[in-house]
Amino acid sequence: MSDVIDTKRAKKQALGPYGRVGQTLDELDDRLGLARGGRTFMDKIFPDHWSFMLGEIALYSFLILMVTGVFLTLYFIPSSAIVTYHGSYAPLDGQKMTQAFASTVNLSFAVRGGLLMRQMHHWACDIFVGAIVIHMARVFFTGAFRKPRELNWIVGSTLLILAIVNGFLGYSLPDDLVSGTGIRIAYSIILSVPLVGTYLAFFIFGGNFPGTAIIPRFFILHCLIVPLIIIGLVSVHLFLLVRQKHTQFPGNGRTEKNVVGSPMFPVFMAKTTGFLFIVGGITALLGAFAQVNPIWQFGPYDAARISYAVQPDWYMGFLDGALRIWPSWSFHSWGYTIPFEVLIPAVVLPGLIFNLVFVWPMLERKFTKDNEIHHLLDRPSNRPKRTAAGVTMLSFLGMLFIASSTDVLAKFFNLSLNTVLVSMRYLTVIVPILAYPITYRICHEIQALHGGGRRKTPNVVTRSSEGEYSATPSPRYVDDVPSHLEATPVPTYIHEDPEESGDGGVRVVDR
Amino acid sequence: MTSPFFKRCAALSIVSLVALGPVLLFVGGAQASYKRTLYQTTRKNAGTPNSTMVKKNSDGVIIAYGNSSITYRAPSTALVTLGDALFQQNCASCHGAEANGVPANGTAGAFPDLVGLGPATINFWVDSGRMPAANPRSIEANRRVPRLTHDQALAVSAWVNSLSPSFPLIPYPHLKNANVADGAALFALNCASCHTIEGDGDALAMSTFSPSLRKIPSIEVAEAIRTGPGNMPRFTGNLSDAQVNDIVKFVTTEIQHPNNPGGFGLGGLGPVAEGFVGLAFGVGVLALVGFWVGERDD
Repeated sequence: MSDVIDTKRAKKQALGPYGRVGQTLDELDDRLGLARGGRTFMDKIFPDHWSFMLGEIALYSFLILMVTGVFLTLYFIPSSAIVTYHGSYAPLDGQKMTQAFASTVNLSFAVRGGLLMRQMHHWACDIFVGAIVIHMARVFFTGAFRKPRELNWIVGSTLLILAIVNGFLGYSLPDDLVSGTGIRIAYSIILSVPLVGTYLAFFIFGGNFPGTAIIPRFFILHCLIVPLIIIGLVSVHLFLLVRQKHTQFPGNGRTEKNVVGSPMFPVFMAKTTGFLFIVGGITALLGAFAQVNPIWQFGPYDAARISYAVQPDWYMGFLDGALRIWPSWSFHSWGYTIPFEVLIPAVVLPGLIFNLVFVWPMLERKFTKDNEIHHLLDRPSNRPKRTAAGVTMLSFLGMLFIASSTDVLAKFFNLSLNTVLVSMRYLTVIVPILAYPITYRICHEIQALHGGGRRKTPNVVTRSSEGEYSATPSPRYVDDVPSHLEATPVPTYIHEDPEESGDGGVRVVDR
Repeated sequence: MTSPFFKRCAALSIVSLVALGPVLLFVGGAQASYKRTLYQTTRKNAGTPNSTMVKKNSDGVIIAYGNSSITYRAPSTALVTLGDALFQQNCASCHGAEANGVPANGTAGAFPDLVGLGPATINFWVDSGRMPAANPRSIEANRRVPRLTHDQALAVSAWVNSLSPSFPLIPYPHLKNANVADGAALFALNCASCHTIEGDGDALAMSTFSPSLRKIPSIEVAEAIRTGPGNMPRFTGNLSDAQVNDIVKFVTTEIQHPNNPGGFGLGGLGPVAEGFVGLAFGVGVLALVGFWVGERDD
């Protein structure tokens, strides 16, 4: 009887070092065998540079978009049926509007937390696309898209397009005065395509504008089809990231053959989970304190009504700007009209831009004849031509973006709208042309800086016995792997069976 | 036990229904099309001598406008003498001593002829501070702090009106009788295409601006609608007094004191300000947090 010691401590010891949780996990592992893969996952190394966190902003704001979006679908009615509003917002009382608009006003005013969710959804969308853009800029300027990561660059660029498209679709759903104008512009853009434009527009809208089909169709696209594609592509994006391992900046013993960083568990997991909460917190703060898209002030859409000074959300700004500043060229002959002033800025231009983005890795490989595999990143200043090209493209898009607020600029600076418009035409051409040589020059200057791109070492100032001072830079920091970055030992409680070789013809593989 | 008679009756009724159906529908449709909808514009009660509901006495002078939305009043004739003096002091250097747009040593047509414009027009321009103009040669006279008081502006309009009595008179809206929802719909239909749906105003073509409506008193809103200052169209026949009253109510309540339950209104600039906030405070702050969380040795 003495060997049965029925104490709490003994019971605890019998459960093993990881307690009841560990035992449960053991039981699970006996059935699912996830420990080995899980260990690989937990030991996955993430380089820690801050610029690698930018993509995570996009990922987490997408999570917020999904959560808040599900909430919104509970109250939003995607219908163009006309109803008379009799709700809590007096200035709309008795007005005729679509059910889509009425339900959006209703979910803003009559549903507890509805307005917060709507605003968080909108802000998260603005942040989502913005984070994708700066993440993409980081990848571009550091050369992270080079072999072997071209495919992931293409997946990411597709994600940007899908994010923009889905943002536009969602912005259109409330059917308010401003977004209705946006749908009308989209309809006209589709119409401008030669030969098939009319058929395409009728096919998409189920007849002439506005019709009653477009809101339900946009709803299905916005809430089901495009998000599913985005989720699929995000999975591919992350799978490729894990499969190809992360890139890293050179230095501190980092080579093309290794990955130096923190393991997934616990360091990176803690960082990234904290970051998730911060993204959620910032979005919630914006949703709570900054009003976005007050559709109740705009009123319902009606083809006869129009508001001046209507802009799209920021990520559509470059398209709007291109439409605004393009000269009014069009072709009218033999009974046909080709509106180049719509076709070129709104169809051809974005097509060219995104195609250039897609083929850039291949173009660069062709021009540099660099077919090597790269895991170490470039400092942007060390690749002046690529950096200058990127800045050129960004400044071109930035000029188009600014051009989408010509009226706001004219009002703010008390200038003639025509002056602003014509200046924007010139600036859109001149600024990118100037941006290239200036960026190129700056990159070269940075390269010439002493110790540029390395950690600064102190200068040792000595005074000789004659009283002469001289400064000598102290030697550089040793470029080796610091001891605290050595690979974490594999946990000992997981037993790996030795490999067995089978007889000829029969293969034995581990479970 | 069905007799051919009943069969024939049933067949006849079906045939007649099919034949008469479209006729009935047509009649119903014709009746429906005569029903005035809420947003339909009307020429009634426009506050001009043409309006059909205006009551005139035997001399043709308007004695009542037949509605409880806007009262049109001519400025008191007792102010005419004061108005003459004020006009000669402040306005005559451009508009001429006779208010006919010909200054003392100038040519005809260089400045607007004010005779016959109606007291509402004169009162609007003086009361909103646009006149006397800061720069008589500028394309637009912008709203600023008025040089003349409200009573002085009334006096000037009384004197100009005394030269050739005309319409529209000065409108005094009765906002208690107005419907703000109708005003919102009419505002979106008639005003938002220049003043923007948030009433902020914006730059129009060739250095012209649609002014912000944020701080405009109700009388001036009604005056602007009825007189059409500057580039603005003159809304007389197509908006009834009740409709003008609704718009004035909407402008002085919802436009001037917007309902911002979602937090800071971001200046009513719409997506421009929203994009700025989203990028600067959203993405910017999050990138800084990333900078804080991540490693930044290199």
